[in-house]
Amino acid sequence: MGSTSQPDTGRGALNTMDFSVIANNLSYFLLGAWPAGPLGGAALTLVLSLCSALASGVLGLVLGVALSMARGRTRRTLLLVLGFFRAIPALMLIFWTYFLLPIAFGLNVPGVGTVIVALSLIGGSYLAHSVYAGISSLPPGQWQASAALGLRPLQALRHVILPQALPIMLPSFLNQWIALIKDSSLAYVIGVGELSFVATQVSNREMVFPTEIFLFVALLYFVICSSLELGAGAIARRYGTAGKGT
Amino acid sequence: MLDDLLAPKYIGWLIDGFLVTLALSALASAAATVLGLMLCLARLAPTRWLAWPALAWLSVFRNTPLLVQLFFWYFGLAALMPQGLLEWLNTPHYWHLVFFDVSWPPFEYVAGFVGLTLFTSAFIAEEFRAGVRGVPTTQTAAARALGLRPLQIWRHVVIPQAFRIALPPLLGQYMNAVKNSSLTMAIGLAELSYASRQVETETFKTFQAFGIATLLYIGTVALIELAGQWVQRRNPTLGAAR
Repeated sequence: MGSTSQPDTGRGALNTMDFSVIANNLSYFLLGAWPAGPLGGAALTLVLSLCSALASGVLGLVLGVALSMARGRTRRTLLLVLGFFRAIPALMLIFWTYFLLPIAFGLNVPGVGTVIVALSLIGGSYLAHSVYAGISSLPPGQWQASAALGLRPLQALRHVILPQALPIMLPSFLNQWIALIKDSSLAYVIGVGELSFVATQVSNREMVFPTEIFLFVALLYFVICSSLELGAGAIARRYGTAGKGT
Repeated sequence: MLDDLLAPKYIGWLIDGFLVTLALSALASAAATVLGLMLCLARLAPTRWLAWPALAWLSVFRNTPLLVQLFFWYFGLAALMPQGLLEWLNTPHYWHLVFFDVSWPPFEYVAGFVGLTLFTSAFIAEEFRAGVRGVPTTQTAAARALGLRPLQIWRHVVIPQAFRIALPPLLGQYMNAVKNSSLTMAIGLAELSYASRQVETETFKTFQAFGIATLLYIGTVALIELAGQWVQRRNPTLGAAR
C-alpha cells in the first residue's frame, strides 16, 4: 500500500477508496428505479431467484419422481433431456430462451421471464437427480409396505415416500437455490436490470469507482448466499445427513 | 450446403472461439487444481491462523457470482493498480524464447483466467476436503505407526487416496469450468459464446450460430464425462466407496 502523505492525485491503493459512490446510489443498487420506474437491483435479483427457485423446485420434484418411476425408453429419453440441460452453459441457455420463447409463444416475453425459464430448466434438471437420489435412498420395503396397505403408487409417493425423502433432499435444494441466486446475475447479458446489471450501469456512469462498486455488490450477494448456506448447513445437521454427501 | 449452414468465415470465428474456450478452461482447471489443493490443506491445517482465513476465503469465492468476480478483476483491480503497471498490462509484449515467441495476452485474458481460476479453485478445495474426509482415520494411524512424519503421511498416504476419492467430483468441476468460461464474454474475452453472439449479430443465423456453439460445449462436457467413465472402468477403485 502506498503512503497516505501524497495528496489525492490519483487512486493507487486501498487507502484512497471512496465509498460515497455506494451511499449516493444505494437506492438504485437495492431497488433500481422503483417506485418511479421498474423494479431493479438487489430486489429484482431476489424476485428472479425466488421465482426460479419455486419453478425449479416443482420441476425438479416432478422430473425426479418421473425418473424414479419411468422405465426403458421413457427413462433414457428423460435422462438425455436432463443431461442436455446440465451440460449446456447457463449463458447459452439464456441466449436460446431469449431467442426461442418469442417464436414459440408468438409474443414478446420480457427479459425477466426469459431468465426465469432458463434458470428453472437448469435448476430443475439438477434437482431432478437429487430428488431421484432421495427417493431411491429409501429402503424398497417402504414401497412394498405401502402396496400391501393397498395404496396406489402415487398415493404411496404422496403419503409415504416423499414425506421421508424430502428432508433428505432439502440440503441439495438449498444448495441449488444458492447456485440460482448466483446464476441470476447472468440476466445481465440480456439487459435485465438486476443487481449485476445495475452495478455495471453505475460503474459506467461514474467512471471512477469500479472497485468500490463491485466490492459492494459482491458483499450483497455474499450476504444473501451465505445466509442461505448457513441455513442449509443447520438443516443438514438437524436431519443428520451432513456426512452422507447428498 | 455448408454455405447454407454458415459461411466458412463464420465457422472459422466459432472455431477460434472454441479454441480459446478450451485453452482458457484447461489452463484455469490446471491452476485451480493446484490452488484448490493448497486451499484444502490450509482449511484442514491444525492451526486456526491458517484454517480460518482459508474458510473465509473459500466462502467469499463460493458465495459470490463468477460474473461479479470477473467484473471486479477486470474493472475493479485495474482501477487499483498503479498507472504504469496497467499501461504495461494493456500493451502487447513479446518475448523471444529459444524455440518460440511468447506474447503477453490482453488484460481481459489475464482477468478472465484469474477470475475463473480463483472461482473454480474454491469449489475444487471443497471436493478435495470431502476426499480427505473419505480416507479412513486408520490409514493415518497406521502411517504414524510405521514412523512416517506428518508431512510424509499427507504426501504418501492421505493425498493419493483423497485424490482417488475426489476424482469424479473433480471432473464435474472441470466441466463447470468449461461452462463457466462462457461468462468471460462479459469482459470482452473472445471465447465461444462471444463468437456465437458475434456471428449471430453479423449473419442473423441465430439457429446456426447458437446451435454450433451449444454442440461444441455439450461435446466438450460429454468428452470429459466419457473420459471419467473410461478411467473409472479401467480403475474401479477410483471414486468414493459406496
